[in-house]
Amino acid sequence: MTHQVATGVQPMPVAAGIGLRAPHVTRVLIERPPIAWLETHAENLFAAGGSLHNAMHQIRADYPLSLHGVGLSLGSADDLNTTHLQRLRSLVEHYQPELVSEHLCWGAIGGRHSNDLLPMPFTEEAVNLMVSRIGQVQDTLKRQILVENISTYLRFRGGEYSEWEFVSTVVRRSGCGLLCDVNNIYVNSVNHDFDPHVYLRALPREAIQEIHLAGFTRKEGLPVPLLIDSHSRRVDAKVWDLYAEAIDLFGPIPTLIEWDQDIPELEVLLDEAAHAEEVLDARRARAA
Amino acid sequence: MPAAPALPELQRRFLAALYDDAEPGPVAAIAGNGLEPDARLRIYRHSCNEIQTGALRAAYPAVLALVGAAFFDQTARGYRRAHPSGSGNLQGLGADFADHLESLSALAGFPYLPDVARLEWRRQLSALAAEAELVTPDAITQQLASGEGSIEIKLHPSVHTLDSQHPVLTIWRYATDPTPEGLQLTGDGEQVVLWREDGEIAMDTPDAASFACIDALLHGKTLGHAHAAAKAQDSNFDLSACLVSLAEHGLVVASPHPAPTRNLRHAADAMPAR
Repeated sequence: MTHQVATGVQPMPVAAGIGLRAPHVTRVLIERPPIAWLETHAENLFAAGGSLHNAMHQIRADYPLSLHGVGLSLGSADDLNTTHLQRLRSLVEHYQPELVSEHLCWGAIGGRHSNDLLPMPFTEEAVNLMVSRIGQVQDTLKRQILVENISTYLRFRGGEYSEWEFVSTVVRRSGCGLLCDVNNIYVNSVNHDFDPHVYLRALPREAIQEIHLAGFTRKEGLPVPLLIDSHSRRVDAKVWDLYAEAIDLFGPIPTLIEWDQDIPELEVLLDEAAHAEEVLDARRARAA
Repeated sequence: MPAAPALPELQRRFLAALYDDAEPGPVAAIAGNGLEPDARLRIYRHSCNEIQTGALRAAYPAVLALVGAAFFDQTARGYRRAHPSGSGNLQGLGADFADHLESLSALAGFPYLPDVARLEWRRQLSALAAEAELVTPDAITQQLASGEGSIEIKLHPSVHTLDSQHPVLTIWRYATDPTPEGLQLTGDGEQVVLWREDGEIAMDTPDAASFACIDALLHGKTLGHAHAAAKAQDSNFDLSACLVSLAEHGLVVASPHPAPTRNLRHAADAMPAR
């Protein structure tokens, strides 16, 4: 089923936004810095009340918003947690975000949660499950969602698809949008020894509605190179290069700077967003 | 090469390995590609532990300060195994942490720790509680004038109480903001009321009668019962002053089943939602 953007929801500005995290909420609330748009983790708003809701009501009035889920566990072999899904639906109805997204991963089974983003096997079984679950979510929310490609540290044997084939197939067959995390593509290209340019070129460009950028860390002392998607650093130079290539391929796309550990001053995130904005502007200039 | 298990089995074995180092996980289904499959799985073990332990650290800063990071992390590991996360929302992780601390023989010499944890969990619940429509002090006064038997008092969802045999609030304050002169404990227990005010968690130890009244109301007792509980502590207890003070702090809310008295409904309707 194809879902249109919910009535009354505006398209996300094609500009660079930042992930809104707790240390910056008060400054954003008071100073209203010039940020194109904000993204927050949906689960942080799952509680019935609290200061974050109060802040978000005010912030929402001034900023386009993306709700980014991290805990729905789309790829679990279990049924979707309907309590979680209904809470997400309530949030979406309440905040009317421009974008709603989740991850191409699983995180729980048998009622136990990892609270992490765990890798899927790239099999037909997994594709079918993902397509079914995304359909259930889109039907419940009555709108299209985006799904994000994740960083992974292992591959399962017996895969029937490459990662980019898996991502593209799920997106095409489910009718969802794609949140293309360029850092995750780079991290996986190192961790699993593939050409990230091949990955980018294989993606369904018409489905890409958001891009994520973040910093990684390098795990030392291993016999093979391994990068960890730590969201604790500035975006790496090689990821900036890959991002520029993505924007060349796909055209300007709303882009988000994520930072979740060792969170710096807001100015650092704004500086990273300004860098992304330069890439978007350069692409627009070439198109003009 | 063995066939990879179907998805449910693969995921069950994977998750079991995240919670228990002795569980091998689906290593035969993992491509090593230059690393032992177990080494790749360990990255997820470590990450899951860090994420969930981080959530517990955030919820229990005083317990963390009191036992130290090394002991806390070890305890968190045991807690995760005994009480696996049951939600994709980490805000719910740690509800049974106080009971877990109570069960640890290594902490038998620190009998106050479980109550410090109970206080911290109540702080979390208070911080995330729903908003509600408030009742004004004037409305309370008018209601009391009409006779307490007809009044239904409902406290704000952020209000919680803790009746501890230990000086739990004093310990919590010292643990989160230690002073150079150290902590002098009298050994007396403390009865703590918590609530949310201007987005922050407020905590206080009211007199025994006020605590009894608030605690009774919080547990759904009638106003008459709450009044009697307070009077049992202090025969001079002033119910009106207590309720008006609660209302002044924004802690009396309109009942979902409004009391059948005209004044309260009128006053509540006139109040903007907070």
